Amino acid sequence: MPEDILYSIRNLVVEYTTRAGAVKAVDDVSLDIRRGEILGLVGESGCGKSTLGKALMRLHTGPAKITEGELWFDGRDLMTLPIEEMPEIRGAEIGMVFQDPMTSLNPVQRIIEHLTETIQTHEPEVSDKDARKRSEELIERLGIRKERITEYPHQMSGGMRQRVMISLALSLRAKLVIADEPTTSLDVIVEAKFLDLLKELQKEFGLTILLITHNIGVVAELADRIAVMYAAKMMEVGNVDDVFAHPKHPYTQGLLRSVPNILLDGAELYKMAGAPPDLSHPPSGCRFHTRCPFVMDICREEVPPLEAIEGAQYAACWLYPSVMAKRQEKDHA
Amino acid sequence: MTALQERPPEDIPEEITWEVELQKVGIVRRILNARKWYGADWWFVAISSVLVAIFIIIAVFPSLFAPYKPDALVGPSFLAPGAYPPVPVLVLPNISSANTLKDLAVPAGQPRPGISVVQGGNTAGALNDAAKEIDNQIKTEPEGLRLRPNIDRYASVEEALQAVVDGKDAAAVVESDEFAALKAQYPTLRQGESLTGGSKTAGGFLLGTNDIGQDVWSRLLWGTRVALIIGFSASILSLIIGVPLGLMAAFIGGSFDRLLSLVMDSLYAFPGLILAIAITAVLGPSIVNVIVAIAVLYIPTYYRMVRGQALSVKEDVYVEAARSIGARSREILQRYIFPNVIPSVAIIFSVNVADAILTGAGLAFLGLGLPPTVPDWGIDLARGQRFIQNAWWMITFPGLTILLVVLAFTLMGEGLMEIFNPKLRER
Repeated sequence: MPEDILYSIRNLVVEYTTRAGAVKAVDDVSLDIRRGEILGLVGESGCGKSTLGKALMRLHTGPAKITEGELWFDGRDLMTLPIEEMPEIRGAEIGMVFQDPMTSLNPVQRIIEHLTETIQTHEPEVSDKDARKRSEELIERLGIRKERITEYPHQMSGGMRQRVMISLALSLRAKLVIADEPTTSLDVIVEAKFLDLLKELQKEFGLTILLITHNIGVVAELADRIAVMYAAKMMEVGNVDDVFAHPKHPYTQGLLRSVPNILLDGAELYKMAGAPPDLSHPPSGCRFHTRCPFVMDICREEVPPLEAIEGAQYAACWLYPSVMAKRQEKDHA
Repeated sequence: MTALQERPPEDIPEEITWEVELQKVGIVRRILNARKWYGADWWFVAISSVLVAIFIIIAVFPSLFAPYKPDALVGPSFLAPGAYPPVPVLVLPNISSANTLKDLAVPAGQPRPGISVVQGGNTAGALNDAAKEIDNQIKTEPEGLRLRPNIDRYASVEEALQAVVDGKDAAAVVESDEFAALKAQYPTLRQGESLTGGSKTAGGFLLGTNDIGQDVWSRLLWGTRVALIIGFSASILSLIIGVPLGLMAAFIGGSFDRLLSLVMDSLYAFPGLILAIAITAVLGPSIVNVIVAIAVLYIPTYYRMVRGQALSVKEDVYVEAARSIGARSREILQRYIFPNVIPSVAIIFSVNVADAILTGAGLAFLGLGLPPTVPDWGIDLARGQRFIQNAWWMITFPGLTILLVVLAFTLMGEGLMEIFNPKLRER
């Protein structure tokens, strides 16, 4: 694994057991997260992006299960660790910020208790006083007055709570922060402030952030690279500038054209035909072929691999010769 | 046009809402303003808490408030509340030189004086007690006198008095007002001293006496102790069994949960009192067995409530968030699920205490569970029920006390429920 890659997901499959049978919410996904970058993971609701985010910490319970794949984090394959050892990694090395800040803090614990508990869970030798001091410094850095640290979550606004969640990840200097739709429930002004803060913190603490969102605008604003998921499959990965300027996959193209733009005054907003497929009965071949304007025969039969199209831009689409070349390579072998 | 100057965010004053204002006022005003936060009636809770506190104080120190021991026979039977107990007086022939009971003492060996009384009244007992006391006293004196009268029992006051007139008995002991009413018919008789000296029970009894002459008021006060012991112990016992079981069922889940829920639901399906009767009938009468029987009744209540709440808390995002910062199962149970469940447990507890007191009294009323020597409201009720026509106070006051205690605990529980958990209000 190259030195600059912090987290490498290899052929990950996450299945949900349902009455109708196993549903693959993440199907054979591979993705590299580089050190110090902000990687935006976008996709429609239900495409498996949140499932992927949780899988990175092996946080699944109940019907969800990782059935295949490797999760290489900082030189270790997390899948080979016993699940009992995962709590040592959670929080200390990988932090998570959840979608709804209203419910992601314990209503009966003060903010200070959340922070000191996190610190002392992983570093039991830290005294109460030191933990408190660290928490106060951190919370002030995030723009919350020190006096408010003794308040309960319900006394804080959504934006403040989300900052508290970030501080929990920062309190132990987590290397990777998974932010699962962190701004979805915030209004635009608070959202803008929060995104600025995230960017600042990323620079200051050298954080690596996996930003899971369905908001293309947030990714354009914040991320260095973008990964596009559709129906449990990775469709396109590339630098934000490249992907936004020249989207390769027809799905990405459609997605970008669906974003409202004030400059296209009066023009009808592009609507992608059809609806996302039912994951319990996914379409054969390329998952997007049912809605693709450039559909070919091969798309209905074979799943296209994710291949480099141009420089560091990857796409899984038969339209491109490099993808085709991969198929012929496989045929020869 | 002036250039727009950007103001740093710190300069913008914080909006003053009542929440912000509330942080600046003292604790007293915060409590008074509490109605504003919750809309629940604090007075309900305040009054019922005072009542509960009073009952608890009485239960801890009954001897400070009760004038008599609960099982002491302190007065005549069936004395109405506030009524003066009849004073037994000595009735003597006019010619007799004696005036007090002591004067009837004779030297040892001489024939003992006969004294007539009315059968079934209080006078015979009073006479016996008084004679024994005097005898014990004079037996040590040098004169060698003894007082061991022959007590002759007659069916009516008239017969008893006639026996004195006829010279069969030396004196009679009757109640003073009875003699006052008949004095005209017996000109040869006069009233002597009262046996008790007239002052001992002159105040009467606040709530009357029962069939064997125990003070109803004292028994009520002592009964508080038994009732609260049963109520609290049973509730605490079912709490310390039901809550961990509920937490475990919610947290472990699977077939453990299903089996335990099946058992609990079957217990819950029984009508409460019937199950308690069955258990006490098997275990036999004692306070501990009553507590066990009632505790078994309420275990499913805690179990179901805690399991349900824990299941819903477990699915909350903050529990997942806790796992994402590395919290282990034990910490999640201890710091996240348990504190979120405990307010509901406290509320159910308060209501359960009331219910347990009621069930305990019900068992005692049916003659199950408690040994009859225990001062208990249920036993008093059962006893009073037999004399409901001529001694209404024997059943009324224990009944009212049970009502008051149950009302106080229930109101407190329901009030707290409204304040701390508005969501429960609909149930």
